[in-house]
Amino acid sequence: MNTQPGIQAALANVTSAGPVLLAILPEATRFSLRINSGNLAAASKALGLSLPTTIGTRAASGTRSALCHGPDEWEILASEDDRADIEAAFAAIYLKAPHSLTDISDREITIVIEGDKAVELLSVGCPINLDRLAVGNGKRTVFDSAQVVIYRDARDSFRMQVWRSFLAHVWGLLNIANCELAAGY
Amino acid sequence: MSAYRVESHGRIKHHQPVSFTFDGETVEGREGDTVASALLANGKHLMGRSFKYHRPRGAIAAGSEEPNALIGTTRSEGRFEPNTRATVQEIYPGLKTESQNSYPSLKYDIGAINDRLYMLFSAGFYYKTFMWPRSFWDKVYEPFIRRAAGLGVSPTVEDPDHYASRYLHCDILIVGAGPAGIAAALAAGKSGAKVLLADEGAEMGGSVLSEPGVNIDGCSAWNWLEARLDELRGMENVTLMTRTTAIGYYHQNMVGLCQKLTDHLTTLPEGAPRERLWRIRANQVILTQGALEKPLVFHENDRPGVMLAGSAQTYLNRYGVLVGRRPVVVTSHDSAWYAAFDLADAGAEVQAIVDLRDKVQSELSDEATKRGIRVLTSHTVTGTSGRLRIKSIRINPLRGSKAGRAETVNCDALLMSGGWTPSLHLFSHTKGTLRWEDDTKAYLPDQKAEACHIAGAGRGLWGIGKALTDGGEAGVAAATAAGFTTIAEAYPVENDREGTGISLRELPTDRSPGKAKAFIDFQNDVTAKDIRLAVSEGMHSIEHVKRYTTNGMATDQGKMSNMNGLNIAADALGKPQTEVGLTTFRPPYTPTTFGAFAGYHKGSHFEVTRKTPIDDWAEENGAAFEPVALWRRAWYFPKPGEDLHAAVARECRATRESLGIFDASTLGKIEVSGPDAVEFMNRMYTNPWTKLGVSRCRYGLLLGEDGYILDDGVIGRLSDDKFHVTTTTGGAARVLNMMEDYLQTEWPDLKVWLTSTTEQWATIALNGPNARNLLEPFVEGQDMSDEAFPHMSVSQCTVAGFPARLFRISFTGELGFEVNVPARYGRALWENLWEAGQQYDVCPYGTETMHVLRAEKGFIIVGQDTDGTVTPDDAGMSWAVGKKKTDFVGMRSLSRPDIAAPGRKQLVGLLTRDSKTVLDEGAQIVADPKQPKPMKMLGHVTSSYWSETLGRSVALAVVQGGRDRMGDSLYVPMPGKDVEVEVTGTVFYDPENARLKL
Repeated sequence: MNTQPGIQAALANVTSAGPVLLAILPEATRFSLRINSGNLAAASKALGLSLPTTIGTRAASGTRSALCHGPDEWEILASEDDRADIEAAFAAIYLKAPHSLTDISDREITIVIEGDKAVELLSVGCPINLDRLAVGNGKRTVFDSAQVVIYRDARDSFRMQVWRSFLAHVWGLLNIANCELAAGY
Repeated sequence: MSAYRVESHGRIKHHQPVSFTFDGETVEGREGDTVASALLANGKHLMGRSFKYHRPRGAIAAGSEEPNALIGTTRSEGRFEPNTRATVQEIYPGLKTESQNSYPSLKYDIGAINDRLYMLFSAGFYYKTFMWPRSFWDKVYEPFIRRAAGLGVSPTVEDPDHYASRYLHCDILIVGAGPAGIAAALAAGKSGAKVLLADEGAEMGGSVLSEPGVNIDGCSAWNWLEARLDELRGMENVTLMTRTTAIGYYHQNMVGLCQKLTDHLTTLPEGAPRERLWRIRANQVILTQGALEKPLVFHENDRPGVMLAGSAQTYLNRYGVLVGRRPVVVTSHDSAWYAAFDLADAGAEVQAIVDLRDKVQSELSDEATKRGIRVLTSHTVTGTSGRLRIKSIRINPLRGSKAGRAETVNCDALLMSGGWTPSLHLFSHTKGTLRWEDDTKAYLPDQKAEACHIAGAGRGLWGIGKALTDGGEAGVAAATAAGFTTIAEAYPVENDREGTGISLRELPTDRSPGKAKAFIDFQNDVTAKDIRLAVSEGMHSIEHVKRYTTNGMATDQGKMSNMNGLNIAADALGKPQTEVGLTTFRPPYTPTTFGAFAGYHKGSHFEVTRKTPIDDWAEENGAAFEPVALWRRAWYFPKPGEDLHAAVARECRATRESLGIFDASTLGKIEVSGPDAVEFMNRMYTNPWTKLGVSRCRYGLLLGEDGYILDDGVIGRLSDDKFHVTTTTGGAARVLNMMEDYLQTEWPDLKVWLTSTTEQWATIALNGPNARNLLEPFVEGQDMSDEAFPHMSVSQCTVAGFPARLFRISFTGELGFEVNVPARYGRALWENLWEAGQQYDVCPYGTETMHVLRAEKGFIIVGQDTDGTVTPDDAGMSWAVGKKKTDFVGMRSLSRPDIAAPGRKQLVGLLTRDSKTVLDEGAQIVADPKQPKPMKMLGHVTSSYWSETLGRSVALAVVQGGRDRMGDSLYVPMPGKDVEVEVTGTVFYDPENARLKL
């Protein structure tokens, strides 16, 4: 069930498409995992993949992935069906490896940004050098002052997670800029 | 065709006529012309009136430094721009342009009376003329100054264009595509580095465009230029941007570029932005901005037809325009000689070359003689004549510094050169230091503060050959510094025109210097004698001279006037220039539209507006909104015909009598989780948390280290190790940052982690006696009875089939619940409750009703009833401070003597003696309104509302020693009356909390 009014309003505002594909993904499972580095092995085992330790890098296995945001912070993405299993697995290690596993599935909305002008489109609001964002990695940054996480899935394919309340602003701006690209500017 | 167009010269398309209008008259130019070049080709030098004296003025330059030829341009409705430089605006069919600052017409301007009254308008005239009598200020002086101030007229219609912006990262940014910039780009480009070369002009090439006679690397200059630009265009790692001005140079090599995208186009492409602001972050920056020519300072040097010699050369060689057929050249620098030769070779009858110097190189005088040009070295110019265009000049021989007898020479243009000033603007933005070179009387870049390189004329090197070599070397240096390897090519140059010159103050004259109108700043009408007057009146710093005379304060930022002003001020002070200083250059380099700065931030994107999952429902149901922090929140839900007051009264009644529903999703939420969660909570909040049971809630008070209330909110304990913390809407980010700060810097040993969950949850508050009746059927997994789920409880259960965190809490004093569900379900839950709530006449209410209902209960709003100087005791909330606690943030400050002292302002209630009077929020409170002014203020009203429930007004206030004044009368002076109030407790409604216990 996706009854996300902000998105509907945002979509309704789209007047013309540009060369970059923009789409909003349905919600999936997203956790914020906070755990001390000494307990990484236990956490990796619970998640079923080896948690990366370099900030901005990502590891994936099956439907699950983890992006390292900080020395003790990871963002875990998984399918909707995985939620309960992941919660149970981490609950089982809690006493031995204390941590915080917080469900933030609904905190952010994910926008797919795809096409050979995708980097140009993102440069409208994102101040970081996206050339340095390697395929497969992700980065917490801002887009026109809204906090976002950008994943690079392929050279020209990105996912941008934006806090839900900022969606209309970000989505609107992406579409304005996509029209510029459509006009050849 | 006009007598001034030279078909054999120029880079414009001579066979492509383009018509536009100037002051309503059709003007024919050619594709590639600027407004100025097209007007000059038609023999029109008069383009505007000066700011102060309304003197007739023409273009003095050919580029962006132009101070005089400012025009209004119109493309279509709404697309009007004042103060555009005619020397930069490219023409296109249908362009409408108009002169400025003249009435009724450019040729006959009433304001020119100021020119006759010039003695009144000397330096500092604002400060002198408009001082007395005081009573004249409001009615006479200020309106006069306001009318006279400002050039051009503001647009009156909303700008229909849109403006874009982007970030760009590159290894090397090169500013200025003259010979130095191009050589730098070639060298850097070959290294493989990501290079951006930007130039403000429509064409790249800089001085090469005005010097077709030079040979570079065995080709003619223009062929070389074309080939090299093609080479650059062919490099994938090199980007070229024309019509792109570097407007500011900021920290760590961030440079702002403004790119004009459509101002030169005949038709606007659909969806194209007019301008784009680029925020460039470059590893290395190369500044190759060149130098600007300096005018000479002499009586009547501002007459239309008087122009910089280098600009005349540009008009000829780039635009195929002779600015005069019988020009005279006056100079202190060799470069003007070359301009004279170019004009002579193109058919002009150069009447004379007047050089201030005793001697010039023999090659120059030989070349002049060869062309039959009269050479007058050791001569000066002391005046000009002609009403709207120069007709003649006075030339005097020099004996030492004395001017001899004048000779009048007829002419139709006067080309002047006082030497060249390296363009230091961007370098100065970086706070790089400058050094004075006394030989050339110029400041040059010295110590660098950023990773930048300066090459070419920008560091005082004259000639295309030197610029190419220096630029190539800068390209290599920048590429190397950025981690690349490259070498610079050699570009041998023939027929180069290097030249030298001297720098002067105002020129000697045989007349009274005190009456000379020898202009330095053409746009602000500042003359040499204004500078001397300012010095004699005590302005000894160049910054004071600048402000007193307004020299260099016009939109051209003194590009032409700074050095002349400095030389004259230094002379008047009898000090070297270095002791007088140089005024500060500030961004933007050239005037930049507000549109470019605003970018996308207009209309729907004016500012980030955060919206809740229920925002759309509120909008569909007619809510009025108010901004709260970055959020927009439903303020009230007016029914047809209702105003704020009526709607809020109805919403309050409905909620107290039956049921209200409220979107509380904006409340900040933080998940505090981990084995040390309770210890962390004990340290952060004033309240004790250890004994708070799982599934129970407590009101939490957060102080700053200063002991003042910073935030508050209800906090639920979900498990031994997990708290659901709520914060104020506006405080969410601040509180999380503060908590993280403590955790990371003070208590890294604590095993507890914080996660912002504000947006994870949509929060719906139900308040009123029917709240449970509505909610109970939807709830699974929680017994909703008062015994099983008492006030201040929290439960993780299911509501309407959605996973929920259900709180029983109340910010209204009524039976209340707050349902948190994952945000995606927020609207669905709202609609379920809305539909089922119809049986209870459920009423949606907004923030205003929420404020009234809580004020009736005396609940504070942090930031409204507190102002950053209110302690828990001041707010009457000592009950929220754990008495047995040994520490929490702010605890130590609470024992400071003045925090514990009596007589502090305390939060109290106020009831007006006349129950219908609603106090103004923010109004001051006094004991006796009859006391003499200034009265002693006891405090102020923090919250004030009409209470529909109580049928009277209620207010909260902070009052000195307020709790000792219960029952006392105080007074609130409001417009037109002093309102008598009684000091009361803060709880106006249901003090026994009976309504919570349903």
